[in-house]
Amino acid sequence: MKNKHEGWGWMLAVDFFFAGMGGAMLVIAGAADLFVGEGRTSALASFLGAAFMGLGSGLLIFELGRPFQSWRVFMNPKAILTAGAWTMSLAIGAGFVYTTFSFALFPWSGWVLVRKLTAAFLIVAGLVVAAYPGILLGRLKGRPLWSGSGMTSLFLTSSLVTAFAAHYLCGLLYPPAAIGDVLAKFPAVTAVLLAVQLVLWVSYLWVKHSSTAAETIAVKRWISGEYAAAFKYGFILAGTLLPLALALADAPLFQAAGAALTLGGGLVMRLLVIYGGNADRTWLPGEVQYRSRLPHGDEAFLKAWNK
Amino acid sequence: MARYAIVFDTRRCIGCHSCTVACRVNNELPLDMIYNPVTTVGPAGVYPNLSMVHVPLICMHCDNPPCVDACPTGASQRRDDGIVFVEDRKCVGCLACVMACPYGARVKNHATGAVQKCDFCKDRVDAGKLPYCVLTCHQKARVFGDLDEPASEVCKLVNGQRAVRLLAELGTEPYAFYIYG
Amino acid sequence: MSKSIDLEQEGIEVKKSCCYFCHQNCGVLAYVKDGRVLAIEGDPTFPTNEGGLCCRGNIALQHLDHPARINYPLKRVGKRGEGKWEQISWDQALGEIAARLTAIRDQHGAEAVATAGGTSRTDDWARRRFMNIFGSPNCFHNSHLCWIPTFMVETAIYGWCPFDLDLGTSRCLVLWGQNPGASSMPEMHHIRELQAKGLKIIVIDPRFTETAAKADLWLPLRPGSDLALALAWVNVIIHEGLFDPDFVNEYCEGFGELADHVEQFTPEWAAPLTWLTPEQIRESAYLYATTKPGNIQWGVAIDQVGKSAGAAMHARAILRALTGNLDCPGADLLTGPSQDSVTDEEMEANDMLPAAQKAKQIGADKFKLVTWPGYGKIAELSKKHWGKAPTAEWMCEAHPPSVFNAILTGQPYPVKALLVAATNPVNSYGQSKTILEALRAVDFMVTCEYWMTPTAALSDYVLPIAGALERPTITNSYGCADYLLASQRAIQPMYERRNDYNFWRDLGVRMGQEEHWPWQTVEEAYHYRLEPLGYGAESYDEFVELYRFHFPEREYYKYKRIGFGTPSGKIELYSTTLKELGYPPLPEYVGPTENELDDPDLAAKFPFVLTTGNGFMPFHHSEHFQIKELRFLRHEPRVEINPATAAELCIEEGDWVWIETARGRIKQKAALTNGVHPHVIVTERGWWFPERSMAEPELGGCLESNTNVLTSVADEHCDPLSGTWANRGLLCRVYKVDGDAKGGK
Repeated sequence: MKNKHEGWGWMLAVDFFFAGMGGAMLVIAGAADLFVGEGRTSALASFLGAAFMGLGSGLLIFELGRPFQSWRVFMNPKAILTAGAWTMSLAIGAGFVYTTFSFALFPWSGWVLVRKLTAAFLIVAGLVVAAYPGILLGRLKGRPLWSGSGMTSLFLTSSLVTAFAAHYLCGLLYPPAAIGDVLAKFPAVTAVLLAVQLVLWVSYLWVKHSSTAAETIAVKRWISGEYAAAFKYGFILAGTLLPLALALADAPLFQAAGAALTLGGGLVMRLLVIYGGNADRTWLPGEVQYRSRLPHGDEAFLKAWNK
Repeated sequence: MARYAIVFDTRRCIGCHSCTVACRVNNELPLDMIYNPVTTVGPAGVYPNLSMVHVPLICMHCDNPPCVDACPTGASQRRDDGIVFVEDRKCVGCLACVMACPYGARVKNHATGAVQKCDFCKDRVDAGKLPYCVLTCHQKARVFGDLDEPASEVCKLVNGQRAVRLLAELGTEPYAFYIYG
Repeated sequence: MSKSIDLEQEGIEVKKSCCYFCHQNCGVLAYVKDGRVLAIEGDPTFPTNEGGLCCRGNIALQHLDHPARINYPLKRVGKRGEGKWEQISWDQALGEIAARLTAIRDQHGAEAVATAGGTSRTDDWARRRFMNIFGSPNCFHNSHLCWIPTFMVETAIYGWCPFDLDLGTSRCLVLWGQNPGASSMPEMHHIRELQAKGLKIIVIDPRFTETAAKADLWLPLRPGSDLALALAWVNVIIHEGLFDPDFVNEYCEGFGELADHVEQFTPEWAAPLTWLTPEQIRESAYLYATTKPGNIQWGVAIDQVGKSAGAAMHARAILRALTGNLDCPGADLLTGPSQDSVTDEEMEANDMLPAAQKAKQIGADKFKLVTWPGYGKIAELSKKHWGKAPTAEWMCEAHPPSVFNAILTGQPYPVKALLVAATNPVNSYGQSKTILEALRAVDFMVTCEYWMTPTAALSDYVLPIAGALERPTITNSYGCADYLLASQRAIQPMYERRNDYNFWRDLGVRMGQEEHWPWQTVEEAYHYRLEPLGYGAESYDEFVELYRFHFPEREYYKYKRIGFGTPSGKIELYSTTLKELGYPPLPEYVGPTENELDDPDLAAKFPFVLTTGNGFMPFHHSEHFQIKELRFLRHEPRVEINPATAAELCIEEGDWVWIETARGRIKQKAALTNGVHPHVIVTERGWWFPERSMAEPELGGCLESNTNVLTSVADEHCDPLSGTWANRGLLCRVYKVDGDAKGGK
């Protein structure tokens, strides 16, 4: 059916990808710092974590109908989008501040307590940012693919798995200050998370499929409908199973390739979730036929007789 | 204080779409924006044992409107009299409300970038007039009024046995009610 | 009314206007300032619509100044249909047209000038007045398809047509081939209100319509089998003793002959013809005959079944008489023409058309009831009985298909000029391909129009006429009601548009008719017509502003005082008027125009029953495809097919399909619905595509999805009484348009 309803576009999906990954990268950086020790992860990863969230925010602004009014999204304390906007802004700031601790040229780089406090804040704020798209989508009651709490764990998992992969890649490009065994374990962690993600997705679709009629229709788009190929081959095969195998290969080149594929899988998943969720609402009686019979927008009469 | 509501008597509605046109023309909506479609369910059954019902849709002016909670800017608001509306100046077009509304009642205006919706013709209502869609309905299938007014027709209809709400299970507390046969 | 316009501002006048997009003429209040209409709304005090307006009523302002409206007189400068026009003055246009018509009259006789009308979107009595004085009997409308044959058959039998239903106290209403749920919003509202209070509604319709869905009893008959059903009802009512013996004995002639005649038409006989069960037929006949008083509402369906139309109208008319449901409280009233005002007929100057010219009316030799032979006879009876006659414009018309044939063949004599008044015959009259050829072939064509229709595009002159809000309107059921509702213009016509009254009058004045046109404006003419009412209004506008309506006091049982306006003074079940015209005095059975029983070979080739011509929102006839606010809701032509049939034919929802009859084929988009019988196909009427080129050869795609390509006007398919042709009960086949062919865009 030609969807006559407004939906979110690719920029929001890409925002969710970068912001989620960025947030989770800061979580990992902060956690490694607090629980293992200073300098165990790449400073590039901390920087990019913040930068990715900034990039995501930029895309989000362009997704708006009125980009120049974007500052208004901070205005409704009750709205989850407002909470997300604040958390993300603070996390971006904290991420950049945290990155500066890695460089001695900043006079405050030795202030350990401040660094530790910042790292703690990053863990909290980063987790929120990583899980937030799932929370946002899960609250949309009229959207059968999204509604419910399942989306939160799916997004959190994906954010974390892409963040571990990104950390690993950053470490190859710009090794951490303190050499340790933390980074070397990331491919294995990634592999475990990929496996978890696979189980979560299969369960999610299975539960949804056996739920309400609208949810069944939504899930069918993934199993046998227009998104089936992208889901099966793009996300499950190329974005999950293949990188899982490569992560276990115990060769940095393979592991790097696996990490890159993991990122690709995360991006595909975001696009699938957004477009797949746009396609369905819990349609009201007769609505599908009504909308399917409206013009598509390219009809000649629409362009005729303009004054 | 009033509490406005609308009742659709599907026994009367014949699916003529006058309400859709009256709304569009008078509210000067772009062609692709429809606040109040009327759908048709059926004819269901096997010829000639059939039934058919027309379902007028609209913003439900929920008591617990998910769109208002979803709006990050405060543009989407609910008045004390229950009318849910968008303050155009504040809308950034993020579509959070469009996605949050389970009733498809919100549409983006591509010319302005903002989201718009039925506001029960609040300026008319404030002036003591009926919404355009109600005034134009030959069949009197749309009944608009104040639920806090015990003598009003809406009050009687809503408190009758047959009034139901769409997707009531979502807890949105719609203030559009439907009467089926 | 736009929300951005302040209606409280100073200088706004509220004009009591009306909607002009169907015959209901719903009351409209127009807010006018400085000669511009700022806003409209339904008039809450108007008795029919009570403030309501349908889709079409709501777009009055879009219609008023639409970019595609014709605003200035246009003269063709290129080849015919090439789309090249020169804007000229009214003076020049009228001068040149008058000269040309005079020349044609001198060379070929006045009858070589014919005029085609549409559907009460024009000042029709003025057209007839011009033609009568000019000397041509060849005026016509699409009236055959819409009520006029019914009016004349019923008037032959009862002395007037009982179209005024006294529904307030009725207990049973038969909607026979009428769907007010899609075509008459105020009527639908009022009957539903009455239904809630106990009125029983029987709907006779092959489709599960908006109205059928609300009926107490729905009879889903085979399209075109109305005659069999009506005869079976007559049989049940007579032979099962349901008739009103006192009324029949005292006021009806020919009951014995009728009883004998219909003995054969049992419900068991009708069942296979109508696809109903004998029980359904009996139950419905009982319901109508025993739930009294009751009404049978006219609908266009029987007017459009072709061959069996006249007999079906006759049989249906007999039902009222047998049950006594005539002119008593709650029944169908025989009001007669207006006694209080000057009627349309009295404005037509019918006496000025010489008898020799009347005799030349095309089609009058074949189809006598709605032409001068039948009309003349009935008008005479009517004048004797009521003092006045039915309107000749509508009730006495040349046979349209025969006029188009005369253009093409010169038989019975050449027709050289066609004056078209707001109609698009290519899309609205039967067998479109022939009509298109005739319009291309006619020597001289002038079209008064709102839009550049395919017909206007082929004209030599196109003249802009005033639309809704720009013209005064008297609503009185084609000039035949005893009441009237009067509406005023909201504004003077915009640009150089004029009432078509002024076209006919000014043309007449140029051709020496000045003494016969004492009224400069329509308002002056209407004032003259309403003065006898005695309200003392100084002008027509004052009447509208102060009184607006005139409903004379209702007199029931008039027949007890004056009898019926027939030769015997009684209801003639056995009609001497029809007999004298050479028609069967009792309704004889003939099958649907095309059917599987009479012509199995045809049915083998065309296995489905086609019905068409029904109204659907938001359009009306072939109008309004330019109004985007409406078109958006229904932007493509749809053909209704039962899902089971579609599955057999591998047709899916939204596929373009060809619908083909022996006359040709068209394409529409499949709309699958359980609301039609698996053997029935329902096409939408009217479709053309004004967004496309309006020049040859495209002409707005006027044949592509046009259902009248499928309909039949062959003499043997027309009703012998009235000549009405066949839109319903035809045979067709349906198949998918090839994969890459993209229709309708």
